Amino acid sequence: MKTKTVELVAAPPSPHFVGDGFRVHNFIPGGFRMDMKRMDPFIMMDYNSKYVFPPATKPKGVGVHPHRGFETVTIAYKGRVAHHDSGGGGGVIGEGDIQWMTAASGVLHKEYHEEAWSKKGGEFQMVQLWVNLPKKDKMSPPKYQAIKYDTINRVALENNAGTIEVIAGEYQGTLGVASTFSPVNMMNAKLKKGGKASFQFPANFNTVLLAIEGSFIINGTEQVPTDHLALMANDGDQFEVEASEDSVILVLSGEPLNEPIAAQGPFVMNTREEIAEAIDDYNLGKFGHLED
Amino acid sequence: MSSGKFLTYIASHLNRDEAEISSIVASCSFKNVKKGSYLLQANEHCNHGFFVETGLLRQYSIDKKGKEHTISFVPEDWFVTDRDSVFFNRPSKYFIQAQEDSQVVLIDQNYEKLMSEKIPNFAEFNNRLLHNHISQLQERIDLLLGATAKERYLHFIKMYPDILLRVPQTMVASYLGITPEGLSRVRKDLALKNFKK
Repeated sequence: MKTKTVELVAAPPSPHFVGDGFRVHNFIPGGFRMDMKRMDPFIMMDYNSKYVFPPATKPKGVGVHPHRGFETVTIAYKGRVAHHDSGGGGGVIGEGDIQWMTAASGVLHKEYHEEAWSKKGGEFQMVQLWVNLPKKDKMSPPKYQAIKYDTINRVALENNAGTIEVIAGEYQGTLGVASTFSPVNMMNAKLKKGGKASFQFPANFNTVLLAIEGSFIINGTEQVPTDHLALMANDGDQFEVEASEDSVILVLSGEPLNEPIAAQGPFVMNTREEIAEAIDDYNLGKFGHLED
Repeated sequence: MSSGKFLTYIASHLNRDEAEISSIVASCSFKNVKKGSYLLQANEHCNHGFFVETGLLRQYSIDKKGKEHTISFVPEDWFVTDRDSVFFNRPSKYFIQAQEDSQVVLIDQNYEKLMSEKIPNFAEFNNRLLHNHISQLQERIDLLLGATAKERYLHFIKMYPDILLRVPQTMVASYLGITPEGLSRVRKDLALKNFKK
């Protein structure tokens, strides 16, 4: 066992709006050493840090747009979001729920604040990730996994340190409920002040930790403040986290696909030709239809 | 600051070494324009041609009722100007606005004069650009007068493959001369025909 060290701790980049319903810090791709290749298979991460939306009769959000070649994963920490797609899928996610949409060969979808929630308004906090798909699965049929908070498997940590909620992958033998196309670990570590948790992932897995609530220290040395993202180096296979206050930490670790990436807007494929084909297919209605 | 794309574009179209024309191209000014800001507004005189190195511009007019009509979208490697205003020295009727953060080259008459003097095939190249533009405008008039909404749309996606992903559909509808509902119907009909679950 060798310690996985911290490569960098990134402050949240200046926020921008996606549509009018998501005020996000875009950590991936971009910034310093966090491009798609380095972060593979986590090719996009938008973090809507806590933000208060005032009451609105017309729900805010993002209108109809396409995706092809990857999965979108929305993790709701606060607030409620309704989702619809051109395959007839849809649903509402609220606090603790996860919407795991495999866009694969292509869907149109739209995401809005859930109507009743929008009327009341309130604190909103979410993470949206794009998880890349292996070449062989990019054109597989779209699917949708609605993961309710109470179905997520939990591991109670020793010494009353807190709980690990395993969304995907595995923690100390407990499996996540989400099915994935390549090895991906995704979990929320809910630690009490002073609580410790250790993690083991292969050295080559790309690994990040996002401080959703509170702050924590990695390997006894690196402090990660609220809303900051720690990128782990690929130099070891285990690390330890200690909460400096009651904390919620999103932990992601995935095996890089190591396949060529061609990306434009909402399409992530392996070649430029496949991107051009995605654009043509979108223009010609091959992603279906969804009313705005 | 230029990304160098304009120089590469001109050199390759003129079949010249970049070194040969770099000092003339360097006489052009470059501008970073933020999304939403204008390179030209109605009633101003247009003094430049614009070449888009990165980003996206849109040329449009506003009618007496306040409705926008998109004349053209101008993505990377495209030129735009108001030839009427530049050539006849008249106030423009058009707006040229950045739809995305863009890097733009401002081309003035000095550049054209220098290029014409120093580069023998520049006039021919410039003439070709002008005729391309006229040919495009002719086709656009023909489509607006005689083509169905679907035909206009199919022509649009060939000419501007990725624009639907970059601007609101209302702007595309205003380019096609149809209502946003009309555009939505065309796209829905295509989806019903082409979408295989």
